[in-house]
Amino acid sequence: MADESKRQELLKKLADGVWKFEEDEVAKAASEVISLGLDAYDAIMNGLAKGMEEAGRLWEEEEYFVPELLLCADALYAGLGILRPHVRMEDKAKSKGVVVIGTVQGDVHDIGKNLVKMMFEVAGFEVHDLGKDVELERFVEEQLKTNAELVCLSAMMTTSMLGMERVIKMIRAKNPKVKIMIGGAPVTQDVVQKFGADGTANSASNALREALKMVAALRTM
Amino acid sequence: MTSTKTSREKVLNLLNGKRDGELLCFSGMGNVTTEGMKETGIRFAESHTDAAKMAALAATTYKLFGFECAVAPFDVAIEAEAVGCPINFYTHVDPQEILYPTVKGKIVKSAADIRIPDNLASAGRVPVVTEALKLLKRDIGDAVAIGTYIMGPFTIAGQTMELNDLLKICLKKPEHVDEILHVYAGLVIKLVDIYSAAGADYITIREMGACSDVVRPSLFKKLVEPHLRRIFESAPVPLVLHICGKSNGIMDSMNQCRAGAISVDQKNDLHETRATIGPAPILLGNFDPYNVLVKGTPDDVSRAVEECVKSGVDAVWPGCDIWPTVPKENMETLMQAVKKSR
Repeated sequence: MADESKRQELLKKLADGVWKFEEDEVAKAASEVISLGLDAYDAIMNGLAKGMEEAGRLWEEEEYFVPELLLCADALYAGLGILRPHVRMEDKAKSKGVVVIGTVQGDVHDIGKNLVKMMFEVAGFEVHDLGKDVELERFVEEQLKTNAELVCLSAMMTTSMLGMERVIKMIRAKNPKVKIMIGGAPVTQDVVQKFGADGTANSASNALREALKMVAALRTM
Repeated sequence: MTSTKTSREKVLNLLNGKRDGELLCFSGMGNVTTEGMKETGIRFAESHTDAAKMAALAATTYKLFGFECAVAPFDVAIEAEAVGCPINFYTHVDPQEILYPTVKGKIVKSAADIRIPDNLASAGRVPVVTEALKLLKRDIGDAVAIGTYIMGPFTIAGQTMELNDLLKICLKKPEHVDEILHVYAGLVIKLVDIYSAAGADYITIREMGACSDVVRPSLFKKLVEPHLRRIFESAPVPLVLHICGKSNGIMDSMNQCRAGAISVDQKNDLHETRATIGPAPILLGNFDPYNVLVKGTPDDVSRAVEECVKSGVDAVWPGCDIWPTVPKENMETLMQAVKKSR
């Protein structure tokens, strides 16, 4: 068994490799985690996800922009691909929640949606990704089918954001309890209120944080 | 202060850098309303591919509300379509729905893949736009300025290739992005010539893909600004440079492009912008065309106009396309509030 200092060293390598977008370094550290028999779930949560959280912080401080985040995401996936097959069954069963996510009809932008989806996957949510330019009814159908606790809607343009308001009404009509997050460049707190959503976030890591709070609140209800 | 000049003359004076002192209210982007659709009986979905319907609808915001321009087309997929990308017109969706055409397939991986048609004037819907501009010119062109818009080279790149790939090569292989933008700047320059020959009085270059919600200002300066400069250098009619989203960090770059006017949206801090660019450049903006104009009350609209004026805009101009379902009374309040501020 490797000692605690080795664990810490590898977690740091994973985290640093993600936010510095060093794909090869992340892959190397992830392989070492496996060959040393360390906990893959721990490496994902306290290594890769930590790194993405740092990337999110740099995004909020306008140190990072979308291109940098995309490269961080590539680095994270390089590690995730190696680590995930080794996650123990009991950790897999610890689902944080079920989420339906997609970009609304009329909009073909999916970068923001994909970054949020990645954070949810990393954190252990069961994610149902409907893709982009998604017909509004499909969000309602998918929520009912999967009994998702959370629906996440994305739009990049004012001209496509409006569909979100209708989806929210349609979902609430069928299932008033479900939490709904909306995101994308034109979405502000003002829009959240006007559309009757439950929240928004300015980065993928904050979206995850909000989502965790919402699901926790639902479960204590 | 009233003058005997036509609305068109006033708008063109402003875009040529001459301030007449009269506050104007117009746009360089889509501004049709459901009121206009009711008036003409034309559905939004059928206006994108039919020049006569496009022109008739484009004229309505001027005719109904006195908005001081007519702008066609209404969607942002004309350029991507002209280079061969398939477009989704949502013809299978309920025709009452308001959906803008989007790019369905990305066909470009590198500059070598880009095919600018030899006869660009007849590619895709370029002839629909030019025909609509000619019809508008004939209909109301003496009284009101006729505008159109073209996406900027970076935005076209993001629409015609996988945006993920474009953004990543911005960091990994910027020289490849430079090649792509060079080709697309050539496309934009040709379109400027085609549209101005068809009667466009002014053209807005929309480069929202390169706003600072997406890429770093230093990257804008290094990669995007040189190509925009080339476009603005050679323009036969006034060109407006519009970037919605975060734009304060690139304001100096935008100003260096020497556009006839700079246009920004509600995310821009106009005071800071003025401090950056000084008093000379014409600045258009920046009321929120959705949260205020569609969702707000008439009081919100008046307040937003006041705010724009206080922040030193040269014309009250929406930060993006006006969403068609704008209530009639809000459009009326907008025009009245601008008149009152004169």
